[in-house]
Amino acid sequence: MLGFWEVMDRCDRGPLQKEKQYDMQLVRAARKQAAAFDIRFDPESVIPDDDDLADRLYQAALAFFVENGVYCRDTGRLVRFSRREVEDSVENAPRSITYGQGRETAVMTSRKVEDAKPPFITMTPVGTPVAEERFVAMVQSFAQEPLAQTFSSAFSQTVNGRVIKAGSPQETEAAIWNVVKLREAARLAGRPTIGIHNLVTNAEATDATLAAIQPAFGALPNDGLGIAAISELKVDYERLKKVVFCRHSGHNVYGLYGPLLGGFAGGAETTAIVHVAHHFLGLLIYGAQWHCGFPLHLHHGCNSSRDLLWLIAITSQALSRNTRTPISVSPFSAAGPCTDMVVQEMCAISIAATVSGANLLACAPARNRHPERGTGMEARICAEAGHLAARQALTRAEANRVVTSLLSLYEEKLADAPLGLCLAECYDLDRLQPTHEYMDLYDRFKAQVGVMGLNYSLL
Amino acid sequence: MDTILEKIIRATIDGDEEKTVALARHAMADGMEPFDVIQNGYARGMEIVGEKFAELEYFLPEVMLAADAVTAAIDIIKPYLKEYGEQSVRGTIVIATIQGDLHDLGKNIVKIMLEVAGFSVHDLGADVTVRDLIDKAEAVQADIIAASAILTTTMNHMPDIDGILKELGIRDRYMILLGGAPVIPQWAKEAGADGYGEDAAEAVEMARRLMQLKRGGE
Repeated sequence: MLGFWEVMDRCDRGPLQKEKQYDMQLVRAARKQAAAFDIRFDPESVIPDDDDLADRLYQAALAFFVENGVYCRDTGRLVRFSRREVEDSVENAPRSITYGQGRETAVMTSRKVEDAKPPFITMTPVGTPVAEERFVAMVQSFAQEPLAQTFSSAFSQTVNGRVIKAGSPQETEAAIWNVVKLREAARLAGRPTIGIHNLVTNAEATDATLAAIQPAFGALPNDGLGIAAISELKVDYERLKKVVFCRHSGHNVYGLYGPLLGGFAGGAETTAIVHVAHHFLGLLIYGAQWHCGFPLHLHHGCNSSRDLLWLIAITSQALSRNTRTPISVSPFSAAGPCTDMVVQEMCAISIAATVSGANLLACAPARNRHPERGTGMEARICAEAGHLAARQALTRAEANRVVTSLLSLYEEKLADAPLGLCLAECYDLDRLQPTHEYMDLYDRFKAQVGVMGLNYSLL
Repeated sequence: MDTILEKIIRATIDGDEEKTVALARHAMADGMEPFDVIQNGYARGMEIVGEKFAELEYFLPEVMLAADAVTAAIDIIKPYLKEYGEQSVRGTIVIATIQGDLHDLGKNIVKIMLEVAGFSVHDLGADVTVRDLIDKAEAVQADIIAASAILTTTMNHMPDIDGILKELGIRDRYMILLGGAPVIPQWAKEAGADGYGEDAAEAVEMARRLMQLKRGGE
């Protein structure tokens, strides 16, 4: 297993390359492996059940990663790893991660394709902007969900009434505020020791992030950070500083990868290769204990489209069949809360991921960009769909029929998806529970999908 | 037999820089009208590239190849253009990803598409302070200041563009165009933007409209 110093030496001494040259070569290298390993996207098979295709994809990603390497933006150098080094990192990767304390202790592990074991559920509004006065309510709506095993943060639009600018001293204050408020939300949810998988999501500066991670502010020893790769397959010093902190402090760390279908990685097949390769980056450079993928459609900004569902399914299968490192998928819907479409999209993504061996990090409605549009209810919808897929022991073929049926309900509406309602409109904030309207909408969905093969009475 | 313009369109769509440059030399040697060659050859080819990108028939690398091929060809044609600045440039834009934000993929796509549409674009890169953006706009006498943010944590620097321009008493010299993943129209308006782009195509269309407004107001 490569150590930190060796990785940094490679960042400092690898071959020099212009970033644009790296960006342009990436898709060529991925296309070469897609052709060599015969990786093809079949729009009719949204959730493929072709084990050989999944294994070929894994091998294609491995060959691609070894040839292509990672780009370090601060040094302008390629960081390369041998096949043996990648295989060693996979072999020696952590196989379980513990969050929380006492009765809230939760252990995340890897899953198998078509596993009857329910997915590990991390819940978060994924940094959805929210008014300061509703911040705690929003994150509490996630923390209180019975299926949530960890939770994380929204993004408060102000702190102490002030708009916070990245890199400012106020950002450090805001990061500390964020941790304090998250733990307060946990207490209000009656789960004071539930794990927080990403303690700081409202600060870009590393110093602000690290300053906030203190027991005095509410951080538990095994709470953690998510560290994102820069698209595609790039790292920089700011992210690597966080890696150093987690390595020494004992806080859990996971990798976040959001390749864009249509961007530098190209189409579905090559983006799938690049997405799997990101997990090698996470293991080798971030020391990631688990991995969260949120591949997105360049134009739609979600991952509920046909090509993204395929990508999520086949990459999850490739990783769960060939590694034992825990992986997770974050569903991003086009539609917003309290719409029929958001339920359909979240359910489709969650089933595609779960039957393919992934856990769930739920979730980002309304393309993750509209203020106040994120509630614990969407996370519940994802989690229950994932649990149901496992409880029913859905096969990939069965899941493909369900997801294809769901897709037919919303596919044509992705570009003009309804924005839905704000937290204050679809939750009774006094009780902090979904409104009758939202519950009725979800109940109608559960009844509707019975004919598709989903039996919600099993939950 | 394809005309030179048809060949230019084909070479642009293929992102074949060797051919776009050779065809530019050929067209100028034949005494073709430079502006016509740009508008009905290279720009038309890029329009088709843009359409293919919108349908995801083409991906970002193909768009970048085509944009590079056209840029190299136009460098050949520039010396032949009479009153180049007035005739062929739709407007001058300074663009950057805002301070604290290192994510420049979206900004790069917008930049390419603006160049494709005929704007002169000065790209300051990522993590750029508002003051640096404004100083550059002053230096190149820009028409539009465009900024992108991909993080909710960094977008809060954007309102300073409007604020500092006003403080400096030069707000009326520029149009402000904002975009990026967390930026929505209402927020952009409140931040003092004159225009907003949901995606690259919308940003280009908005830049065109802002230029009409600006030139109409002159």
